[in-house]
Order: sequence, then C-alpha cells, then structure tokens
Amino acid sequence: MMLNFGAAVSSLNTSHLTDEVIRRSKRMILDTLGVGLLGTSTPVFNTVLQCSQRQQALEDSKVWGRPGLSLPPQYAAFVNGVAVHSMDFDDTWHPATHPSGAVLPAVLALAETLPVKPSGLELLLAFNVGIEVQGRLLRFSKEAHNIPKRFHPPAVVGVMGSVAATAKLLGLSAAQSIAALAIACSSAGAPMANAATQTKPLHMGNAARGGLEATQLALLSLEGNTQILDLESGFGAFYPDYVPHPLAEVTPTSHYRWVLEDQNIAQKRFPAHLGMHWVADAAIEARAKFLDKCPNADLSQIKKITLRVPTSRYVDCPLPVSEHQARHSFQFNCCTALLDGEVTVESFSKSQMNRSALKEMLLKVQLENPQDNHSSFEKMYCEIAVETTQGEMFTARCNTFYGHWRKPLSHEDLVRKFRANASTVLRAEVVEGIIYTVDHLDTNQDCSMLWSYMHFNNTFE
Amino acid sequence: INVCTQRSTRYVSAISAARGLHKSALDAAERPTPEETVTSSFGRFIQSVQPRHLSPTVLQRSKRMVLDSIGVGLLGSTTDVFELALQHCQHMYAPDDVSFVYGRQGMKLSPTLAAFVNGVAAHSMDFDDTWHPATHPSGAVLPALLAISDMLHNNSKPSGLDFLTAFNVGIEIQGRLMRFSNEAQNIPKRFHPPSVVGTLGSAAACACLLSLDRSQCSNALAIAASLAGAPMANAATQSKPLHIGNASRLGLEAALLASRGLEASPLVLDAVPGVAGFSAFYEDYAPHPISSLEEDEHSFLIEMQDIAFKRFPAHLGMHWIADAAAVVHKTLIGLKGGSISPNLVQDILLRVPLSKYINRPFPETEHQARHSFQFNACTALLDGEVTVQSFQPEALLRPELHALLSRVRLEHPHDNPANFNIMYGEVEVTLVSGDVLRGRCDTFYGHWRNPLSQESLQKKFCSNAGAVLSNERVERLIEAVEGLDHLDDCKPVLAQLQ
Repeated sequence: MMLNFGAAVSSLNTSHLTDEVIRRSKRMILDTLGVGLLGTSTPVFNTVLQCSQRQQALEDSKVWGRPGLSLPPQYAAFVNGVAVHSMDFDDTWHPATHPSGAVLPAVLALAETLPVKPSGLELLLAFNVGIEVQGRLLRFSKEAHNIPKRFHPPAVVGVMGSVAATAKLLGLSAAQSIAALAIACSSAGAPMANAATQTKPLHMGNAARGGLEATQLALLSLEGNTQILDLESGFGAFYPDYVPHPLAEVTPTSHYRWVLEDQNIAQKRFPAHLGMHWVADAAIEARAKFLDKCPNADLSQIKKITLRVPTSRYVDCPLPVSEHQARHSFQFNCCTALLDGEVTVESFSKSQMNRSALKEMLLKVQLENPQDNHSSFEKMYCEIAVETTQGEMFTARCNTFYGHWRKPLSHEDLVRKFRANASTVLRAEVVEGIIYTVDHLDTNQDCSMLWSYMHFNNTFE
Repeated sequence: INVCTQRSTRYVSAISAARGLHKSALDAAERPTPEETVTSSFGRFIQSVQPRHLSPTVLQRSKRMVLDSIGVGLLGSTTDVFELALQHCQHMYAPDDVSFVYGRQGMKLSPTLAAFVNGVAAHSMDFDDTWHPATHPSGAVLPALLAISDMLHNNSKPSGLDFLTAFNVGIEIQGRLMRFSNEAQNIPKRFHPPSVVGTLGSAAACACLLSLDRSQCSNALAIAASLAGAPMANAATQSKPLHIGNASRLGLEAALLASRGLEASPLVLDAVPGVAGFSAFYEDYAPHPISSLEEDEHSFLIEMQDIAFKRFPAHLGMHWIADAAAVVHKTLIGLKGGSISPNLVQDILLRVPLSKYINRPFPETEHQARHSFQFNACTALLDGEVTVQSFQPEALLRPELHALLSRVRLEHPHDNPANFNIMYGEVEVTLVSGDVLRGRCDTFYGHWRNPLSQESLQKKFCSNAGAVLSNERVERLIEAVEGLDHLDDCKPVLAQLQ
C-alpha cells in the first residue's frame, strides 16, 4: 500500500490534470485565499501569530495580511492555515473534511522558499495531489462518511494531504514520499471536543505545518514505518473500521481519475458549520412564505419553531454564548435567517448575537431528529415548521443548499464571495490581481506575485 | 423549576415552563457549573499545587527521575536521529534563542525547539524511564521545563522546589489520565502513550511553572489534546523519539497559547457522549476529578507507584528476558568455562508475553534490536549482559549472534500477559549435549519492585553524561540535582548544561 501511495505521489505529473480538475481546484484556491485573508482579522490568528513570532529562519515565508512579517515556512503554513479555518468559512468535501486549508498554506509557504519557483501548473499539481490523498484516505473507512464524533477530520487526513502536496512540490522520490507520509502520521489526530472552540482553527494550521515538517524531515532522511497506511496500528489507529486499498497505478502517459472529478466540493456562503446552510436556506424560504402571506408581519408573532435536523450533538446549541458556538448552532442560524432573511459574516458579531429579538426567538426553537435524517453531508436535509400566534403554519424544506456540491456556487457568486472577503484586508487592485492570477494559474509560468499579493493589508498602509 | 444562573432568569419569566417547549434551552441554562467537571478539577489542581504538597518520598523519587532523564538525554545527543532533528530546527533561529541543547555546548534554540530536540534526545535510545500504566513520563516533561527555565530572566529563575513541583505536576497528570482507561494497563496497540498523555503532562507542567491561572491551566490541557496522539506503528522506527520530542514541545506550545488567552473545550477530559475529547484516544474511558489539595485528600501517584529505570537502552520488556538469559549464561560459563559458543546450543525457547511489536526474530536496525525479545536474549546469553554497546552496528552483525538467533523460538504462556506489572521472562536453552538450562526473571533489577540503588543510578548517569560532559560537570550535576529542593534558583543545574 505504502509503496503504491509513495509511487503515486511521486509519479503524478501535470499531464494527469484534467480540465475539470483544473477548473474545480482553481475555484477552491480562490475561495481559500479569500477566506484566509478575512481570517487574518480574527483574535485566534493574532494569538497564534504572536506565539509563532519567536521563530525566524534564513528562508522565511510571508504571513498573509501582515506586510513585512515572515516566518519559517512551517510556521507561515501554521498561521495561514489557522486563518483559513478561523471562521469556519472554508470548503467542505464528502466524506467530510475541509481539504484546501490544510494544503494551500503549506504549498504556498514552501513554494516561496524554493530557489526556482514552480510554475502555476506545478502548484496546481501539488495542490491536487494534496486533495487527492485526503479523498482516498477518507474512503478507507465507512465511519468517515458521517459527521465525525471522535477525531476532527482535518487533523487526521489534512496533515496527510499537506505532506503529499509538499512532497510533490519538492519532487521527493517514491521512497522519500513513503517516509514523509509515515512521519506525518505521527502528527495526525485531534479530538472533536475542541471543534466549536477557539482552538479548532489550530487543527487546520497544525495539519498544514505538520505535513510540511514531515516532508522536510524525510528530506533529511528520517524514516518512519513503511507500512503506515496498511496497519491498524498505523493510520488505522484513527478509525474503528479501517480498510485500506491501493491507488490506481500511475504511468507517465496514463489517464488518472481524480476523486475531485467524481466528487465536487461545497463552498460556504456564510461562516458556519456546513449543516447550518441547510437550516438557513429552509428558514429563508419559510420566512419568505410568511412575509408573502402577511407582508407587514412582525416576526415576534412567531410562537414556535420546529427544526427537523440530523442528530449531531456538537451543532445542537440552544443558547450560544461565543461566536464559535454560534457557528455551530442549528438554533442560532435558523433564528438569524428568520429575522434577517440571510446569514452573513456580520451575523456572528457581538452586536448581532446580542440582539434581544434574536435571543427571544432562540427560546422558541425545538429540535427534532427524524430517523430518516442521516448525519451525513451527502444525505441530510432540514425541515422547518414555523407556527404563529395566529395559528398559521409555514413550512419549508431544504435538501440541497446553494453552495453544496450538488448545487455549486456560480462563478460570479464565488468571485463575489472572494471580493467581499478579500476587500476587508486588501485594496481593490490587489483583489483583482489575485482573481486574475488564480484564473490564469494553469498558464502562468511565474506565480510568485500570488504570495506577494497575500502579504498586503490596507489597514497597515 | 430551579434555574441557577442569572442570565436565564429573565427568559424563564417570559415563558411557561409547563409547556415544556423550551426544555433544551433550560437544560442548557442548568448545565453544571465549571467546578464540577473533570477538566476544571485538573485545571484547579495544576494551579493550586504548592511545594509543601510534595512529600519526602515524592521529592526523592522525582529527583532520581530528573537525574536519570538528564543523563539519558545527554547520551542521546550522540545519536543520528538527534542530529537530524537538530539540523531541522537549526534552519530556524529566533530573537530569543535562549534554551540549551543537550550535548552541544554554547548552542541555543528557541524554547519550544529546544524542548523538541532535547525530548528527542531523551527517547532516542529508548533508555528513559518507564511507569505503570505504561508510558515514559519524564522525557515529555523535563525538556520543556528546562527550556522555560532558560527562557526566564536571570532574576526570576524558578527555585529548585518550584521546578520540582512543576515536574511532579507533569508526572502526576500523566498518571491520572492513564487511570481513566483499563486499556492503558496493557502494552499499547493504537496510540503511543507518550504522545497521548505526555503532551498533556508537558502542558500541565509548563502551565504550573508559568503560574497560569486555573482557567488557563484547563485550556492548556485542552489545547494540548488537539496536539496529542501518534500511532504505535511508528514506534520501533527512527520516528519514535520524535513522539517524546513533540510531546514536550507541543505541551509547551499549548501552555504558551493558553497564556495568551487561547481557549479550547472546557470539557476535554470529561466523557461527553457523541463528542469525543481526550476520550478519542481510548476505547474505554471513565474519567474522574482529581481530588482537592485543600482537604489533604490528595497524594501523588509516584508515591504509590514507583518508576522503572532501565539498565540498558531497549524496550522495558527486554529487561526481563535479559536478566533471565544472564542466569543461563552464568550457568553455561560455570559448566563449560570461557566464552559461549553457539555450537553448544541446539534450541533456545523464550517464554514471553504476546506482543507483535517486540517480537522480531532477525532485527536489522538498532531500533528494531531494541524491540526484539530474541536479540536481547541472545545478546545476554553470549555476553552475560546487555549494554549501550550491544546495539552498535558491529555488535548487531556478529555471526555468533546470528547463529543463536536462528535457534530461538517463542512461547506465549497464558499466565504471561503483556503488562509491565505482571509479566515475566523465561529462557530455556537446550544444549546439543541434551542438558537443559533454565533462567527466569519475575522482576528485573531497575523495575519499580526492585529499584536501582542510588549508586547504580548515579553510575548509569556518570556513564551517560560522561559521553559528552567533563567529569567536573558530571559531578556538579549530580550534586545540584541531589540538592534541588534546597536551591534558591535552579541556575546550578542549568549552568552545567549550557
């Protein structure tokens, strides 16, 4: 298995990238950069940055949104990875993980330090190898198909994605790639309990960092267990049902079937756990029906709200106190959508969270967990029933929210999201520069302006 | 319905509780106050423990652990894996590269990286201490504490007692955590224990030395949980020492992050159905709060359960079989005189616990040899003992050794479980002449039931530390650690290591 993974990682080349894979991965890269830039304004980003600043190196990589600040590449990957996941705004895949945030910061940080910069296509290849390895590993366990209970997936597969991507970028041999994968495995795994806390983004940052570090150690000839992906006591330690299988053989001219081709990705419209998006869309529809019937209605006329959602303890939070809890609360996102007709970045600010109308409405929400509503991002739905004091009932159901892989964001809406995020930190010209660079990533020989653009901040000028 | 918190009283008055519509909201309001959780009891313990809580036994045993760990770390600084980890870190320097590196006079790294490399050194030869339930507690804790001590200003170095208190907190936390799972009592199969409990032990010790408040102490543990856990498969590979290095480093990072206000799960140590915290690392997890220091209910685990120090650098299980084989060696010498010739031996039977990862008939690397019943038995049969030198490349390749290895078979008696408290080792050698020689070891010398004398421990230290330090420094270190609880500040220890 390991020989096979190592061989695949080192044999995949740019000719194996199909048009669809290139198109989808460019969308992921753009979305991730925007989300990362927005994330540089969060307290958690500042905390990890302060802690990381005690490290410097001869070859440093740029910290996003902090002009003049550089860190050793693994620490740049760390803080930038934290930024990407800081608001739970980054992409989500099936089986569930947030793949891009573990890979992109590491790839960019590493690329910056290379004496000969990779071309855009080489960057795309490394990125896709990182995504691919994550997708393959997630398919080794049935448990991985459901909303996780024990280990936070980015901390498990994310670090393996990061190591695969960075190994690819550095052109490690198959044997070195195997060693790198094994070393990375010893940095995998963080418990779910820290999700919905301020520490969650560090899972992403550490995945990016750990993968890059593993590649560097493998280059120094450190060895791990060459059977790491085969053994229950290896990568299998993270799953109760672990059934690994080899990757398809890769020859220089063969066609390669990427997981991303068969399984598209979800990109969020607002910064909250993916499950919240079903709730928001259903609530928005119910609200529209309500206001349609009673145009000048006062929403305080709502007597009771029933949400039919999958069982998931960690996003069942009736009275969230912190911003993180709010992003992981069916109830909160439902009420925000009912009140405002949308959920946005601003919805999680202190002032919005403290609205009395919102707090009153939260008390009216009741959750039901129908048996047919599975805790899986592939199968779940949300049904809402709003009962008014007048005795009227408005219901709505969302099977597939806009942004889900079955109903992806249009190109315009994806770019709009990027602009809104990036503009909080960058001037318009720089924002457009990134859009242009990512759009032309596969034809560009020199993409070093990408990390230069990420290094600006209009509030510092 | 009684509602405890002030916040929810306003809401309750606005609704009718009888309708039961808002049960989930009320449940949330009635959630137990922090003091009742396991997690917060740990935070409280770390913050409130004082030097006066350390009994003489605890002081004595922990000083022995400190001494052994330093010695082992110094010797470990001569290994390849250490050199590799060091090179890796040297690509990074810092404005505060203030912390010493074992065996590299004058070299400094930033505190977290120093904790990392020194932790790697401590575990690089599998020579460091082992506890029950199984882990290597000191190597995860000591490097981080030493690194912090170097980091603190000259005028505010911790006293010897403060240092020992923090060290013992780090050990204690590890012991408590391991008692939350029955699975932890046996030789591990999934996660390498130092990477699980060691990380939290380091976080606890650092939080204590840095005098974090109790909520910061809890958060340090919780942040560390997200940095814990490495799979067993990498043990007996060159990566294994990094598990301890990372435990030390990441525990320190967790404490530093907590000191800057980072928050994590307040229930990370508690058992919350459907959302795993620290329980993620165990199949069976039953936590309980740590008892209060105020009511004098608390006693340190090290007092009740002593630790094992190794006599040679290999997995603990090897010590039983080596001692058993040494008995046979002595008998053979008595019988035949001179040195042992493999031609005399027809068959070697080892009765040992069943454990895949220390069953290696023909180890090829030094790391594999340290984890091979067969190798250690045959080495002890040939030489009468196993030493640091037994794992050198030349020793590994000896033809006489190979000849003996090919005659070994294992048996796994039912009464010999993979448990360091219960296991035994038996060696049965059948000679060509037909004679059968037997040796058995129930408790090797160095095990907690048969601890090394102070002389033996110091002899081990001198041999280890002497590989890289002058005799003068070695002597001064012994003296400084011996008197650690009387030092106003720990500079005398640090000075010899710089």
